[in-house]
Amino acid sequence: MTRTMPRTLALTLALFVAATVLFPPPPAPAADDVKIALVAPLSGRWARQGQLKKMGADMAIEEINSQGGIKALGGAKIVLREADAGDSVEKAVSAAQRVLTREKISAGIGSWLSSFTLGVTEVAERLQVPWLTLSYADSITERGFKYTFQTSPVSSVQAEQALELVTDLAKKNNRPIKKAAIVGDNTAATVFFFKPLREKLLAAKGIELVVDEVWTPPLPDATAIVQRIRAAQPDIVFYGATNFPDSIQVLQKVKEFGVKSPIQGVGAWLVTPEYVKALGKEMLDSIQTVVATHPMKGQEEFVKKFTQRTGEPFMTQDPLCTYGHVWLIKEAIEQAKSTDPKAIRDALAKIDLSSGPAATSFYPNRIKFDERGRRIGATPLIVQWQGGEPFTVVPTAVATRPVAWHK
Amino acid sequence: MAQVAELLQYVATGLLVGGVYALMSIGLALIFGVMRVVNFAQGDFMMLGMYLTYFYALSGIDPLLGAVLTIPPFFVLGWVVHRGLLARVTGGGDPQRQMDAQLILTLGLSLVITNAATMILTPTPRGIRTAYATQAFAAGPILLNQARSYAFVMALILAAAVYVFLTRTDAGRALRAAADDPEAASYQGIDVRAMHGLAFGTGIALVAAAGGLLATYYPIEPSVAGNFIVLMFVAVVLGGLGSIPGAFVGGLVIGLVQSLTLLVLPFQLQNTGVFIVFLLVLYLRPQGLFGRRARAV
Repeated sequence: MTRTMPRTLALTLALFVAATVLFPPPPAPAADDVKIALVAPLSGRWARQGQLKKMGADMAIEEINSQGGIKALGGAKIVLREADAGDSVEKAVSAAQRVLTREKISAGIGSWLSSFTLGVTEVAERLQVPWLTLSYADSITERGFKYTFQTSPVSSVQAEQALELVTDLAKKNNRPIKKAAIVGDNTAATVFFFKPLREKLLAAKGIELVVDEVWTPPLPDATAIVQRIRAAQPDIVFYGATNFPDSIQVLQKVKEFGVKSPIQGVGAWLVTPEYVKALGKEMLDSIQTVVATHPMKGQEEFVKKFTQRTGEPFMTQDPLCTYGHVWLIKEAIEQAKSTDPKAIRDALAKIDLSSGPAATSFYPNRIKFDERGRRIGATPLIVQWQGGEPFTVVPTAVATRPVAWHK
Repeated sequence: MAQVAELLQYVATGLLVGGVYALMSIGLALIFGVMRVVNFAQGDFMMLGMYLTYFYALSGIDPLLGAVLTIPPFFVLGWVVHRGLLARVTGGGDPQRQMDAQLILTLGLSLVITNAATMILTPTPRGIRTAYATQAFAAGPILLNQARSYAFVMALILAAAVYVFLTRTDAGRALRAAADDPEAASYQGIDVRAMHGLAFGTGIALVAAAGGLLATYYPIEPSVAGNFIVLMFVAVVLGGLGSIPGAFVGGLVIGLVQSLTLLVLPFQLQNTGVFIVFLLVLYLRPQGLFGRRARAV
């Protein structure tokens, strides 16, 4: 043992040296740089979404800095401080705590999963740092927080509007919806989407709820769920499986059992490139989902820039929203003329943008928050898989493809 | 009749899911049985097995064959990990010695593997697309998913092979001797350290093969271990700590209970059924289904 110790020590040291060479620490910012935090899952089962968010943030920061930084602060550069929200609320909260207390952070973004955002925004509120989120859950902006700003339409609004849109589409295609299924996991955004459907919206439209199954991820096997869908033959399946393996298992079973009911997803997790690799584009065709934002008509050049820079086959909500968030923080700092979080919060509360990279990242192209911190007029988009790529199909004014209703 | 068919479908689904749990668990049971090491990194080796099968599949090897082909490299990897790391902290099989160190070591190993995989292989989930993942064998009204059926049969074959190895070969007997009484075994000329290497290598190879089979229908990502590791431990304890047939039955029982729970409880409580059965077994038969009383102190 004693003989081998120096060798072990040497090996450890060598590893440390290698690690510092391979993964150098971020360069120290100059004194007047503006630091913004991104708390997103970078490890664990939602790490892919964190990675996508970071791509959007990096792109925006590079654009801002190369265009001369923040003009009101004499060309100050924006620096990103990312923290790993991991795979649990506890980890997300401690990541936010760490990143926000270690140094002065002017504003923050995160944390994708609504359950995480609920925890992270509590930390931001306590430390008085303005926080932008794309998370959907209604409760995020129902707590009277002053520092939380939600750019997405909340889940209940999404449920209402999505139902309106799909019943309309179905009627136009002579397949009116009479029976619906609700299938998904019990993460916060999904829960808040399903709740109004179950409690009032479906009944108000005279739609019968024939399957209502909610699970705790991970799902061991999808047979029983899909069997129930097959037996009930609903005219639409409202579908919320945020955990990728769960979703793949369900969709594989849908094909195996020959289920023909149209699938209406709840969130952008259903339109990531890895679905094409795991299931093939034919299987995905005409599956649609409601999202907070997605590349719209007129953004083709911008999307091309994104795909070239990242190697991703297309752009989705997560990078687009985070891109918009960074630009929005930039605009707020320009107006606040300060890096002070409180001043930036006040600027965000007053901001009213309808042009520029921040505004065009969201639909409709206007950013103004109400007193709760919700973006006024925020409307969801419907995105549909067509030929292995997800396109915005509703509303038609910003659609990049016409909608194709299920055959 | 329809209800009988439904019940049979639930039983069949449960057994198919349980088959792969069973194969995952026997590797863990072997390692614990022989070395008294609680390997928290077992799920991570499974994840690496899934990735290797994925890379085999990219080069045109069918994943079912790929799963078997993970066995030799992972045996070597397990042996190397044992020689390089575990052998320093396991204290020759004595359960009273250095228990903390081996727990910390395997837990640390798990963190390092998961995060290294996230860094090197990226968190993007991958999947092997096989025709059989979305097709079923129809046995009357009962549908058996083809990928899961193949995985189940392969799991049975591999488990049987392990059983034959342990009971019919000299190396297997030596392994069991080293497990039963390391001191007496070493007096008989059995190299206990080598036996530990053999057990760890085999245990890792088995879980990697289980990962390969799983990959035929389950997406692969660096964090996939978290979805299975608790169930593996439950299977091993349920079957009787260290008992190979016990772990196999434990795995099948978990699959069955998960599936049958749905007849009475909602989906959200699917694993509650597993843990209720687990508690009942521990209460009524603390040594586990196949455990020996002698070990209880």
